[in-house]
Amino acid sequence: MNLLVATVEPNGEKLERDGPVGTAGDRSPAIPAGGSRFTYPSGAQPLAGFTIKRGIGHGGFGEVYYAVSDAGKEVALKLIRRNLDVELRGIRHCLNLKHPNLLSIFDIRQDGQGDNWVVMEFVTGERLEDVITAHPQGLPVDQALAWFHGIAAGVACLHDHGVVHRDLKPGNIFSDEGIVKIGDYGLSKFISCSRRSGHTESVGTVHYMAPEIANGRYGKEIDIYALGVILYEMLTGRVPFEGESVGEVLMKHLTTPPDVSMLQEPFRSVIARAMEKDPARRFRSVGEMMAALPRPVRPEVHAGPLPSFPGRGTAPTMPGAAPGAPDAGVGQWLTDEPILRGLRGFFGRLVHAWNTSYNTPAKVALLAGGLALVLFFGWGLVPFAAALLLLYACYCMVRAIFQMISASRQSRTAPPPPLPTGMGVPPAQPGSATPAAEPWERGHDRRERPRKPSPHDAAVSALVLKPARERVAELLGSMLGGSLVALAMTVVMVLVSSFRGVDPQPEQAAWLAVVGLLGAWVVLVPSKIWEGTRGDPMLRRFVLMVIGLGLGAAASGLASLLCVELPYDPRLSAGPHFRMPASFYGPGGQPYLMAFMAVFGTLFLVIRWWRQSDPLRPVRLSVWSMISTVILAWMIAELWHFPAPWLMMPACTMSVSIQLSSPWIDPKRLHGQKS
Amino acid sequence: MMVWRTPGYWKACVMDRPLPTRSERFLLWVDAIGGYWICLGDEVVLGQPLSSSTDVPILADLSARHARIRRDGEGYLIEALRDVYVDGRRVPQVALLSDGNRIQLGSNVRLVYRRPHALSATARLDFASHHRTQPSVDAILLMADACVLGPSPHSHVVCRDWPHEVVIYRCENQLYCRTRGRIEVDGVPHKDRAMIGLDSRIVGEHFAMSLERI
Repeated sequence: MNLLVATVEPNGEKLERDGPVGTAGDRSPAIPAGGSRFTYPSGAQPLAGFTIKRGIGHGGFGEVYYAVSDAGKEVALKLIRRNLDVELRGIRHCLNLKHPNLLSIFDIRQDGQGDNWVVMEFVTGERLEDVITAHPQGLPVDQALAWFHGIAAGVACLHDHGVVHRDLKPGNIFSDEGIVKIGDYGLSKFISCSRRSGHTESVGTVHYMAPEIANGRYGKEIDIYALGVILYEMLTGRVPFEGESVGEVLMKHLTTPPDVSMLQEPFRSVIARAMEKDPARRFRSVGEMMAALPRPVRPEVHAGPLPSFPGRGTAPTMPGAAPGAPDAGVGQWLTDEPILRGLRGFFGRLVHAWNTSYNTPAKVALLAGGLALVLFFGWGLVPFAAALLLLYACYCMVRAIFQMISASRQSRTAPPPPLPTGMGVPPAQPGSATPAAEPWERGHDRRERPRKPSPHDAAVSALVLKPARERVAELLGSMLGGSLVALAMTVVMVLVSSFRGVDPQPEQAAWLAVVGLLGAWVVLVPSKIWEGTRGDPMLRRFVLMVIGLGLGAAASGLASLLCVELPYDPRLSAGPHFRMPASFYGPGGQPYLMAFMAVFGTLFLVIRWWRQSDPLRPVRLSVWSMISTVILAWMIAELWHFPAPWLMMPACTMSVSIQLSSPWIDPKRLHGQKS
Repeated sequence: MMVWRTPGYWKACVMDRPLPTRSERFLLWVDAIGGYWICLGDEVVLGQPLSSSTDVPILADLSARHARIRRDGEGYLIEALRDVYVDGRRVPQVALLSDGNRIQLGSNVRLVYRRPHALSATARLDFASHHRTQPSVDAILLMADACVLGPSPHSHVVCRDWPHEVVIYRCENQLYCRTRGRIEVDGVPHKDRAMIGLDSRIVGEHFAMSLERI
């Protein structure tokens, strides 16, 4: 069944058995009993202007029909037989709620017989209940999160308007063209009452009932409880409390804590807290609950705006900043800078062309040609490049000053930003510095064409959610593999050096192997921690620089220990030499501790090593990454007047070891699996 | 598995035949289950609702006559009147459909061709994109001999909670409904089997459905 609408559909089988059986002499209901009995047949027009096409479902409050207006508008009509004012008031309260994750209520009309009809949005698409049925072992985590994010956004909007849903369950939740829709809000008052009377119609919903409902408490905590149950059901494929009878299930809700042992963190603690027996110990708001959960890969696919989450440290506070994007200060400024943006675009296209258009022999030939050109003719360009860099630095400084001035002028003169209209204002959340900035900005982002989560996004999500134990196991595997590759690379380096006429001593080879190995290890560890997240590149560079300083110290200590000499090779030096402090090099050019720390610190600061161990890198071993690492190492060695081969060789060893030993997800396989 | 044959073969099969008159169609509204667009003819034209010769009008960016699906014995052929793709491959003229084939009409409309019941030549077209007919239905049924509604996953219309099957079938150019137990057609009670019209209301012990002539 694809066409669905907001309705409470009780357990059909149960109803069939318990419902009154019509007699053949009755008018329209005639023979059928239970779930398929509808008062009005197709073609009936009980409400002027609407023609009923078919019945959709039943609830404690009445029947729901799919109908078409005279002009052709498809709607869901909900027949309410019990015209208690208090119940209608509840629906009227919700009549003008506007939220993408809430099913729209268009109107309430009365027919000629005095029955009230609620005219509602008709949705096509899956019902969460059917989706869960189709996944008996539970939904994939990213899919469950996407659903949950939409549900939470809708419930948060209800709570924001003082409405408690009271009947949240997968049967009331739909996906309409990728947008989660919650139905049946505002009607729940007497559904809950019928539950308490033990009516059979409550059978389908008792699984989501918070314990305090038994005492007649209907705060928004009962929705939080139901959200916990729904999340549990989505992740495991079954409800937390099952039983033979309504009484048994209710008793479990009242006394037994849910078994969350099979769930991973953070879901385990989030569900346990949402399903606390004491409402005061649950999450105080839906926003708080969402803050404890990872974000879905593409929240905007399923969800509308959500009130801001207190305590979510990574939530961007600058309008327009994407979640997890570089810090809005330097990072944002750098991406806005037109020259840099142009250059990045150019290099991005160049790298793309490099990765896609050339085969390996062609790449090697091109690189060799380029290197030869630079070696023979490039030195004249160095002063020119330095001058350009200096000019660019001046330009950046002037631009920054100008922007700061104009920003401060704007903040003095501009009126405060207008509050968003149409969706109400979310409650101010304690602990949130900018309560409304993020959700509304994301709301506006919905104008962008929604995109389904790509295989790449799903893979990123899987990386983020990877359990710690798996990460540690992978890291240990990578470190072991990395050490083997480092040893092999050392042999290759020794061979290459021999060809160049420099036969390395055994202690030099040992130094090279250990430094390459240590370098690979110290990159693999933080990279594994950062895996799948974007993070601030500047911060990462800084952390790596500190690690590099440490590695430099270790390399220096090792050189002293092994009494290894790292001779300066004048053939690899061509640049203008600066005078180095005496603490850097000995009289014979032997580098001291400071020189080691300087070169390795710079090497780790300049190169984004974590990208070489990213499981989603385009190729497992990128020749381009390796070559660029070696070239940069050479430049750094030249800068610090360090014996270049002894930085280039460890850098090359590290680059190859890291790339070969880190896990890699083949993009072809990734896309092939999903399509 | 699609079978690709020389264009001449299909041309002999399809192109040289005169266009048949528009086939009869009706909507089947099954309470608590869904709505279905049922075509009785051997040949249906899919396209935009603009043309009167379109048997299955889909509200989408299509031509008025975009594709033609023809029942040929036990199989179905799709003829591309405009751009049509089956499982991602462009249909040059005609292609044979098999269960699970993904049909794409134009750039956006996606349908899935199903032959759920092994003993029936009736086929079902499910919407895989968000496009729908007007009024919107869950699926299009290309009804051959019979249409099975029941709890089995091999039914043309799967009704999970029904205790047994209901079959709508054709016999000598007349439609019948068959099930176990009593049924009531347009208020008249019958036992097990009853003749139905294209505007009938059928009510059984566990189900209720209406036909609506298009």
